[in-house]
Amino acid sequence: MAKRKRKENIYLKEKEKLQRAQGFLNTKKNDKPEAATMELQNITDDYEELLDQTVLITRISDRLQKKLDQTNDQLNDKNIELQNTIDDLVKAKVGRKATTIVFIFALILFVFSEALIEPYIESYANDIYLSLAIKALIAMSIKPVEMLVENTMLKKARRKTMDKRVI
Amino acid sequence: MDNLIKDGNKQHPQIDFNAQTGQLEISGRSIPENSYDFYNPLLQWLEQYQDQPQKETQLKIYLEYFNTSSSKYILEVLKKLKEIEKSGSAVTIAWHFDMDDEEMMETGEDYEDITGLNFNFIEEEE
Repeated sequence: MAKRKRKENIYLKEKEKLQRAQGFLNTKKNDKPEAATMELQNITDDYEELLDQTVLITRISDRLQKKLDQTNDQLNDKNIELQNTIDDLVKAKVGRKATTIVFIFALILFVFSEALIEPYIESYANDIYLSLAIKALIAMSIKPVEMLVENTMLKKARRKTMDKRVI
Repeated sequence: MDNLIKDGNKQHPQIDFNAQTGQLEISGRSIPENSYDFYNPLLQWLEQYQDQPQKETQLKIYLEYFNTSSSKYILEVLKKLKEIEKSGSAVTIAWHFDMDDEEMMETGEDYEDITGLNFNFIEEEE
């Protein structure tokens, strides 16, 4: 209430002018044509001033609103850009992690095949083609595993971001 | 007569009214919580200055942003300067605006139209 009253102080001068005109209407002076003409002149001048002020303030406010709208649009565009960049960064980060995991997985498979499967083939089948086929199978399984790991990690990272936003 | 100096901040513009040189300046952002409290001392100062104005009075306005109630008071300040001009001082308004801020320039033009004061428009590089 006090805040609203303080803001109304802006129009103190205009209020005084209105009170003066209302005061004139309530006095007997308004019977005299000269006094009435003078008061009408004053009111016309005040009205002109007020109209000028209204036109100016409306134009300025419209311009401000337009400017704020444009700034808001720019902000939204920047937000989308930022979100895309964050997504790209998360993808790159997850991709790097997935590559490391798959590399370790491939290393384990290689060691496993060399240490366990290779001697087994040599002693029982002794077939070089079978040995190569197993190694090729291991090599070909790397890419799908990498994609699977990457997708799982990406989903996890996105869920984490969504949870943060909800909080 | 004392000069009127007020430091600016995020809400109030910087005020530097020099009665000895006739150089007046309003610059910064003007979004005061209470425009009446902020601008009324300026109008009172100008009222006093009107009694003994310098031969030349220049008001530099370089506002980045101002709210609606400030725009009303800027008009009051300019009207007061118009009265000072009528009492014999040569008044010029240096309206500064940022290069890409066309709206601010147009606002200055509106003030020029309404007050009939002599405005110089100065484009500032950001």
